[in-house]
Amino acid sequence: MTRFYRTPLGLLLHPKTAFARVAESEPAPLHVFFLHIVRLALMPPTLAFVGAWNFGWRLGAAEPLYIETSQLVLVSVGYFIALLVGLTGTAAAARWMAPTYGASKAFGSHLALVAIVAVPLAVGSIAHLFPHVFLNLLVFIPALLWSLYLLYTGLPVALGVSPERGMLMASSLVAFLLVAAVTLLGVTVALWAAGIGPAIGV
Amino acid sequence: MAAASYYEDGIARFLTACAIVWALLGMAAGVYIAAELVWPTIDFGQPALSYGRLRNLHTNGVIFGFGVSALMGTAFYSVQRTCHVPLFAPKLAWFCAVGWQIGMLAGGISLLAGWNAGKEYAELEWPFDIAIALLWVCFGVVFFGTIAKRRIRPIYVSNWFYGGLIIVIAMLHIVNSLALPVTLSKSYSLFAGAQDAIVQWWYGHNAVGFLLTGGFLGMLYYFLPKHADRPIWSYRLSIVAFWAFTYSYIWAGPHHLHYNAIPEWVQSLGMVMSLVLLAPSWATMINGVMTVAGAWEKLKTDPALKFIVLALAFYGLATFEGPMMSIRSVNVVSHFTDWTVGHVHSGALGWNALITFGTFYFLVPRLVGGSLHSVRLANVHFWLALAGTMLYVLAMWGAGVSQGLLWLAMDDLGELSFSFRDIMASMAPYYALRLVAGVVFLSGAVLMAWNLYLTAKGRPTVKVSPP
Amino acid sequence: MNAVELHRKLENNAGLLIFGILFVSAIGGLVQVLPSVFQDALVAPSENVEPYSALQLAGRDIYIRESCGNCHSQQVRPLLAEVQRYGPYSRAGESAYDRPFLWGSKRTGPDLHRVGGKFSDAWQRLHLIDPRTVVPDSIMPGYPWLAETPVDAPDVQRKMRVLRRLGHPYTDEQIAAAAATLAEQMEVDAVVAYLQALRAKP
Repeated sequence: MTRFYRTPLGLLLHPKTAFARVAESEPAPLHVFFLHIVRLALMPPTLAFVGAWNFGWRLGAAEPLYIETSQLVLVSVGYFIALLVGLTGTAAAARWMAPTYGASKAFGSHLALVAIVAVPLAVGSIAHLFPHVFLNLLVFIPALLWSLYLLYTGLPVALGVSPERGMLMASSLVAFLLVAAVTLLGVTVALWAAGIGPAIGV
Repeated sequence: MAAASYYEDGIARFLTACAIVWALLGMAAGVYIAAELVWPTIDFGQPALSYGRLRNLHTNGVIFGFGVSALMGTAFYSVQRTCHVPLFAPKLAWFCAVGWQIGMLAGGISLLAGWNAGKEYAELEWPFDIAIALLWVCFGVVFFGTIAKRRIRPIYVSNWFYGGLIIVIAMLHIVNSLALPVTLSKSYSLFAGAQDAIVQWWYGHNAVGFLLTGGFLGMLYYFLPKHADRPIWSYRLSIVAFWAFTYSYIWAGPHHLHYNAIPEWVQSLGMVMSLVLLAPSWATMINGVMTVAGAWEKLKTDPALKFIVLALAFYGLATFEGPMMSIRSVNVVSHFTDWTVGHVHSGALGWNALITFGTFYFLVPRLVGGSLHSVRLANVHFWLALAGTMLYVLAMWGAGVSQGLLWLAMDDLGELSFSFRDIMASMAPYYALRLVAGVVFLSGAVLMAWNLYLTAKGRPTVKVSPP
Repeated sequence: MNAVELHRKLENNAGLLIFGILFVSAIGGLVQVLPSVFQDALVAPSENVEPYSALQLAGRDIYIRESCGNCHSQQVRPLLAEVQRYGPYSRAGESAYDRPFLWGSKRTGPDLHRVGGKFSDAWQRLHLIDPRTVVPDSIMPGYPWLAETPVDAPDVQRKMRVLRRLGHPYTDEQIAAAAATLAEQMEVDAVVAYLQALRAKP
């Protein structure tokens, strides 16, 4: 049983320790996947479901937008799968970049890196309990900055590269994540246009 | 003959200084109009401070003031070094550089005075259009004249892109600006309605393509290998990317007119070619990333390279986001919203501004033969630029997706769910966040201006002879 | 000769490179843009679409001068929600006398292609001079100077003559009569007249 950190607070206070543990233990990929990734990915959709079911989506305009429960389940499951794919995909992208930057090639380490970096965002998803877009944005911006900080400081430690090369690799991962984020946005919007999710008159 | 044996670098120094002034001016105008969307009365009833006119100064100031000055300066700097000869017709080059500044300054004032051709990113009226065309021809004569007398046989990659910038922008500008003058300050387009729309976005999209993308790729292809002190990763990939880029970009304009009153086939073709465009755009990104990947030791001492690496990351985002937003079922939601504004700025701030800042941090110390005044200040600038761009993009994603959804949302009875007014009012927090983002980004640029000013102050331009 | 060899030829000869770039970049325009420019049907005015009256034309050019199009589109897309919100969708034949077109790319404020007749002249005048008197949370700028500046009649007549050369069917009588219709009109009256003319012509 590998635990890289005890509590999110512990991670905030001692991020280097968590990453050093990753470097030491070279965790097994499946182990990290089921113990960390799945658990992390479950959190936001569950909270989003509860939030949307209770309060509706509040996109800022007067009335909240309530979605049918069946549609909501579909959206939440989709969100869960997207997160699983996204987190694993990020680790895969990092693994793919590893030879270029002379980083560790153990996939488990990449998964673990992603799992730790994603913690602030998972914690931030508590804001999903009240799905007001701007509130969520306000919570997610500091969470995202925390994650970025973890990525830039943790990557060289966890994957065993020099800070300079780590900076390059982290920036490449940022590019990957930006593209992934905008893809998620695009797919969501395209699904709306296809009649899945909120009803729009197109 | 003795004077001609040195590279003409004073002109690069002049244009760099002008570009920095335009960056501050253009971005300050941007921050001001962002503030006007939060506090609409801060134009104090003054026509020149009114949102509509000031926005034109913002876009023209950053694209044609900052962008073109930076491109012209770096093109003149790099074309000499890649051809191993001093600039052709240096007096003409100076005429072109100084003329451009005067033209843009007068043009900026004319925009505030309400002279406006009414076409986006081509607002300047016909006297300026003619001046731009003439100066652009001078730019081309100097640039290609230098290439013609080169002492290295192959023409280097960066020059293909700078060349593409000069040729294609000339073509687009001249065709799109065709108009019949009424008075000095007013003309009517030769094209009307739907035809005008198609011509305008053929121009508008490719001003983005060949100036903001292609031109700056010229900058990338020269300064990145120079910074990294190693050749570009794949010459073959750069060939394929260049020609594919030049061929396919030009078709993509009609994605600005999805569901508008133009023929269906034009829209569909525009969408398909926009998707095709992803391949050459990313090929270039990969070429750049792989070039830096082997030069990581340089990062310790060179803050400039950090800017270029981050610029490539945002270039990757913008060139992916664009084709995605050209897909009709995405565009149906994103069109007319702030998502478009966010997309433009992920390119303009994240790519154009960052790569130019990186280039200037590299170029200015070399031009004056000193070292950068403060590496720490440059590192602070780096984080301000990253934070500013991120905040901007996130704010506009939030605003844009909300607008897109809420404008189209309908209830079970087939009635609209929200009034436009309510949706508009709900944008306030996003617009406030965008203002913060702009201030953060601008303050970084101010730090850079100060840093580079102190770097160059009191030092004459270094004289360099061709090898 | 393969493509790379062809490229080598071009990159060794400045003239060929210039020609190559011009040729390759022109193809798209020739195939896609040029046919539209010669497709007269695209700019044939629909039935009931007339050239702008002298006052409306003056208003339209003030609309352009103040860059109203930066925040207001004039293009109702053929979408259920959009037709419901604004009115009948926009057709090419309605823009036959629009130089330049003003379809826009951004809706910070609402679309205006069907705004004609939705508000009274008095409302429009108040709204233009100080939007917040009639829409308290509006973020539109006020245009108080429009109420203080008279319309320049000779200028408008000059414009009508230029437009006639571009094919707008203004008669000599219409141009001569413009002087009288524009007398004592303020710029704000012209903009209001233009806005009221923006409506579907059945």
